[in-house]
Amino acid sequence: MAATKPDRDTVLDATEFLYREARALDERRFRDWLDYLSDDVRYEVPLRVTREGQAEWEVSPTSRIFDDDKQTLTLRVERLETDFAWAEQPPSRTRHYVANVVVDPGERDDELRVSSNCLIYRSRGDSIEPNLYSAARTDTIRRVDGRLLLARRYAVLDQSVINGHNLSILL
Amino acid sequence: MATDSAGTRTEAGLEGIRDGIAQGRFPAHVFNDREIFDTEQRRVFSKAWCFLAHESEIPNRGDYVTRYIADNNLIVARAESGEIHASLNMCRHRGNMMCKSEMGNASHFRCSYHGWVYKNSGELVGVPYMKEGYGGRIDKRDWGLVKVRTDTYAGLVFGTLDPDAPTLEEYLGGFQFYLDLYLKQGSSGSEVHGPPDHWVTETDWKIAAENFSGDGYHTPVAHQFGFNLGYFASSGSTHSQGWAASIPGKGHGIGLGHTPGFPPFAGFPEELAEEMRSSLSPEQVEVFSQTRTAVGTVFPNLSFLMQPFSIVPGEAGVRFVTMRLYHPIGPGRTEMYSWCLVPKDASDEYKQEAYRAYTLAFAQAGTFEQDDLENWARVTRSAGSTMARNIEFPYVMGMDSTPDPDFPGPGHVVTPYVNDSNFRNLWSRWSEYMTGRV
Repeated sequence: MAATKPDRDTVLDATEFLYREARALDERRFRDWLDYLSDDVRYEVPLRVTREGQAEWEVSPTSRIFDDDKQTLTLRVERLETDFAWAEQPPSRTRHYVANVVVDPGERDDELRVSSNCLIYRSRGDSIEPNLYSAARTDTIRRVDGRLLLARRYAVLDQSVINGHNLSILL
Repeated sequence: MATDSAGTRTEAGLEGIRDGIAQGRFPAHVFNDREIFDTEQRRVFSKAWCFLAHESEIPNRGDYVTRYIADNNLIVARAESGEIHASLNMCRHRGNMMCKSEMGNASHFRCSYHGWVYKNSGELVGVPYMKEGYGGRIDKRDWGLVKVRTDTYAGLVFGTLDPDAPTLEEYLGGFQFYLDLYLKQGSSGSEVHGPPDHWVTETDWKIAAENFSGDGYHTPVAHQFGFNLGYFASSGSTHSQGWAASIPGKGHGIGLGHTPGFPPFAGFPEELAEEMRSSLSPEQVEVFSQTRTAVGTVFPNLSFLMQPFSIVPGEAGVRFVTMRLYHPIGPGRTEMYSWCLVPKDASDEYKQEAYRAYTLAFAQAGTFEQDDLENWARVTRSAGSTMARNIEFPYVMGMDSTPDPDFPGPGHVVTPYVNDSNFRNLWSRWSEYMTGRV
């Protein structure tokens, strides 16, 4: 692991990367969003389970709500581009609030380990009750040819029983 | 023809619904109605056999999960003897909840209020100040956790609150033939991949139960994107061929989708298909080898779906199985539980692949699941309106179809798969419970 603490510019670059990536999602520019991802991206949202304090795990080591790679994320985007993605017709309005960004050295010299809190507000139709998803994200961000790319996202939701009739949005 | 505006407030209303089903009519309002919900809690869920857990969720002594029957929270635990016990999750002293987590392992449960201690079988073993305080007025044998009658079939643990309910075997009434496709994948059977997904939906449990009891009609439309992007081996028009099988008088039903030219047992690993050819009955092999999609409901609220899925257009891909429980938490509101079942004998690689197919297609973020839930939420919302109280839906599709005499499986079996036959059977059974006949 590269031991050097990332400098201020690197921290700012990584933080801005997360903001821009979130904006692509909120503006429903899903093709642009795919361009923020490395070709070997791994996108995982594990299942959280309510356990006793002494239990070995609380985030399931085997069960996931999302377990995607570039191919399946592209499939999700292609789906949204058809006229038949009923879950998002009309589309959800989302707002990703990214906060508490902490940038650490990654496992490789060209990578950063970036953790953040993400609160997603989702509004649909005329409903005055939004879905709120709060997640702790641990991302791996890689520098490739002068650009930053998301190589891994591991987003753990804070609720064990998800409030929302489906998860047709991206975290 | 329509139900009166008093709706189900009267027994006559429920009798009217029952009569309507026989003629292929079912009222919209039952899918979002407080009176119906309350009556279901008392007359359906307190009498039927309800699914609790899969045995592989609690493989070791002391393992437990907490689950519901109606609004009763239960502890389902494997006791030190290896037997499975279900007990009301409520201390007999002052009613505190014993287990506050969804799953865990414990030989004993100790109440966090006054400290009464129970074995995981529900037996009361410890009462603080027993001698000084109670002076012999408490006999521990009288104050164990309230037990719920349980029974199992091929790994499924069911419970019933009705001491007079028939045996589980009788209750399933031959539907086991079809359940084996999900539960006996290979000679060692099936297991859960991990804890279930759960999420709260604005959907009445009955809409989901009906859809999974064999709605082949919605597939080409609701899941049109799958055909559009080439992720199904068949076209929309052939996707609805096959059989609708139901167990008359029991409420259980399954849709068996069939695609002409689809290879036998397509999507199963070869060695597993071989095992199934020898471990299942010849009749089961005949039916299952040509089944592409199998979507079924055990009355009232346990469902299964098996389907091959590939992210590569045109390929059979892998078979995944989702098992789900629709736990009603209010009129038009359901907590969904969804598990992925995998064959115990399969390689880890196949299990992982099947699980990935499940998450992509039918977990809560699944591309197919998403659209179902969107539709069901809208149905539920419409059903709650005042005008909907006087609206009925037609359940007359395939009313004249005659059972296929050559079909090797049990029950009332009609073809094609697009048919309301299973739904009429489901709602007929529901109305028997709702009118107090069961």
